[in-house]
Amino acid sequence: MTDPNDLTPAERRAFEALPREAKPPTGLEDRTVALLQARGVLAVPLRPLAMPTRRWHPAWLVGALAASLALFASGIAVGQFLGARSATIAAAVGLGSSLAERTQQVRRTGSEYVAALSALLQETDSSDAASRQRATEAALGALGAAAQEVSRLAPSDPLAAAVLRGLTERRRASQPPPPTRTVVWY
Amino acid sequence: MPPLPAKVADRAPGNHYPRRGNKGDEYGTPSSGHGPHRVSRAMALPNLIEHDRALASQVLAGDELAFRELYRRHTPRLYQLVLRLLGGRDADAEDAVQETWLKATERLDRFRWECAFGTWLSAIALNIAREQMRRRIRRPEADWPEDLDPPAAAPFDVVDSMDLEHAVADLPDGYRAVLVLHDVEGYTHEEIGLALGIAEGTSKSQLFWARQALRAALGGRQKGTSA
Repeated sequence: MTDPNDLTPAERRAFEALPREAKPPTGLEDRTVALLQARGVLAVPLRPLAMPTRRWHPAWLVGALAASLALFASGIAVGQFLGARSATIAAAVGLGSSLAERTQQVRRTGSEYVAALSALLQETDSSDAASRQRATEAALGALGAAAQEVSRLAPSDPLAAAVLRGLTERRRASQPPPPTRTVVWY
Repeated sequence: MPPLPAKVADRAPGNHYPRRGNKGDEYGTPSSGHGPHRVSRAMALPNLIEHDRALASQVLAGDELAFRELYRRHTPRLYQLVLRLLGGRDADAEDAVQETWLKATERLDRFRWECAFGTWLSAIALNIAREQMRRRIRRPEADWPEDLDPPAAAPFDVVDSMDLEHAVADLPDGYRAVLVLHDVEGYTHEEIGLALGIAEGTSKSQLFWARQALRAALGGRQKGTSA
């Protein structure tokens, strides 16, 4: 005989229909973990000392790209400007100037050459043969180049011819004699 | 007529019940609610128990992620159990679940794995819930004395799960604990006696009165609804 207090099938089904799980409250897991860490049961995760990871914002990336493009374009513009200016100077010195101006320029550079030569001679140590030789060669080189230009301008100019002749003889005298060849006959 | 358990409207604030459904358990098997289902689960799915064991050993080494996985596997069922035992008081249930995990991790190295981890966890939770019920301002355990006849309560027929939850929550603590463990969780009177520290006969008696009170409450509710 069944006990009247026993569950009826309907009651049994009603109990079976009850949920067996429930969603725990939000944050309970983290609070429990924190408590266990405080008690030393769970290890406390080590936070890296390195710099925090930076997330590049798209707007920042676009700005950086625009800035680099602007820098590149301005570099090209500056380069073109400098190139154009040097071409202008060259034109002004060469083709654009008159004969009188070029004559004046030669005189000016000639004066500068003489001044430089004077300064060189003053600074040259007369007791040092090597430095005296170097200064003399520099001065004679410039003198020879000038005489060469004068002889081209006036081929019959006796002074220029004499200077060139003297320099040629000096060069020839300073060169070592060619080595004598020894022929061995068998 | 003896006084009936408090009505739904008198429930303490903060009581909480989940929505209906979600009847599975942490082992993924349908919950019968009756019989020695804990043993059959343990035998049917040894891999999950082994997984619990592996996670537990990692927890003992201080692994936070392993603990979180173990927590997520068992807490939904644990929370539902203590929530129901404590009459739907969610704050009390939350405290009980937290305390359960603290105690479980303290004793984890002594757990011998002779039963499923979830069963062991439930036993700890039961102790904690029982202590909470003892500390509470006691509601009268016997809403009607035993020397009187029980109310003429007919078995309830079709009842809404929420109504049943509320009616169970409104039972006195002692009645509710025995009824939840026996009729919902499938414990035997012997197991209930061990878990709650009461005699087996007391468990049977409490269950008798709990069912009578529940039927009376649900019968009145059904009458009120139909009227």
